[in-house]
Amino acid sequence: MKAEELFKELNVEYEMMKVKGNRDPRYRVKVNADKLEDIIVKFKENGFRHFVALSCVDWIKDGKFELIYHLFSYETLEDVFLSIYIPRDEPKYRSLRHLFPQIETYEREIHEMFGVDFEGNDRLIPLILEDWNDMPPMRKDFDTEKYAKEKYGSIPPVEGGDEE
Amino acid sequence: MNENPLPSIIPEKDWKKIQRMLSKRSLWMIHFCTGCGAMEMPPTMTSRYDMERFGIIPMATPRQADLLLVTGYVAVKTLKRIVRVYEQMQDPKYVISFGSCPINGGLYWDSYNTIKRLDKYIPVDIYIAGCMPRPEAIMDGFLKLMKDIDEGRADGWLRYRKYYDKYKANQMRVFRRWDE
Repeated sequence: MKAEELFKELNVEYEMMKVKGNRDPRYRVKVNADKLEDIIVKFKENGFRHFVALSCVDWIKDGKFELIYHLFSYETLEDVFLSIYIPRDEPKYRSLRHLFPQIETYEREIHEMFGVDFEGNDRLIPLILEDWNDMPPMRKDFDTEKYAKEKYGSIPPVEGGDEE
Repeated sequence: MNENPLPSIIPEKDWKKIQRMLSKRSLWMIHFCTGCGAMEMPPTMTSRYDMERFGIIPMATPRQADLLLVTGYVAVKTLKRIVRVYEQMQDPKYVISFGSCPINGGLYWDSYNTIKRLDKYIPVDIYIAGCMPRPEAIMDGFLKLMKDIDEGRADGWLRYRKYYDKYKANQMRVFRRWDE
């Protein structure tokens, strides 16, 4: 089933994106956070069986995080990006790992890099940053250069090692 | 190193020289790849440059290896594994740091999760500069290491023993805990 038909059936506004060098249609949809699960279920039943990725954007000026769920259909070769906004000061959303099991790992990564809490996912343990003790590093207000200089620059060279 | 089997016949000084001469011709390299530099190892190992003619062969386990190659950027999580592998290797052991990232951070100079200088955490015997070094540079580094071993200058493993507390303190400044 074509994505445009599904959008009309669900009665949501959508936006077609033009990408240079890629003729397959892509659609970007801003949806209500409460309705997202039903929309993903609907898409999954109608051919969009490939969950590509879950990504997060920090809109620091608006005070919001954007969560983007990328879906793909092998039948119609269409990409659909479903995005929701959650407040930045209390980043919380419910886990959707029961729809696609691979969402668990994406949620784990976003929890680590942005500090978004996914209720219902009990495996939000550190993935890459196992020794981390600061704020989540992919947030826009994290100063990576200052952190690197303070943390790694302050470690003294070992005596008898190579010269500074 | 092994003890002198015939101390009455072979002087201690000569025995050490013999050992160094033999160990420089049988460097076994642990298969531990970090970062992007490991891509330069296949041409170095295979018939085009053929490092086996110098007695350097890849080895699967740390306990049988003499040589640890750190082939690229080192994330904090990787550093923990590198230290573990290094401590499991038997003396004498040598470290070659590979590319510009373990020297000063390289491309990742402002990254939050990569260490900038490897020799603050484990001793390094030879640096091969470049991003990435070509197989010729790697062979040159191997030959320099062999020369250093022959002349007794590759003493990183002795430094690690001598300054163990300082190396450990530096490591624990980036690790939150060791037993994870």
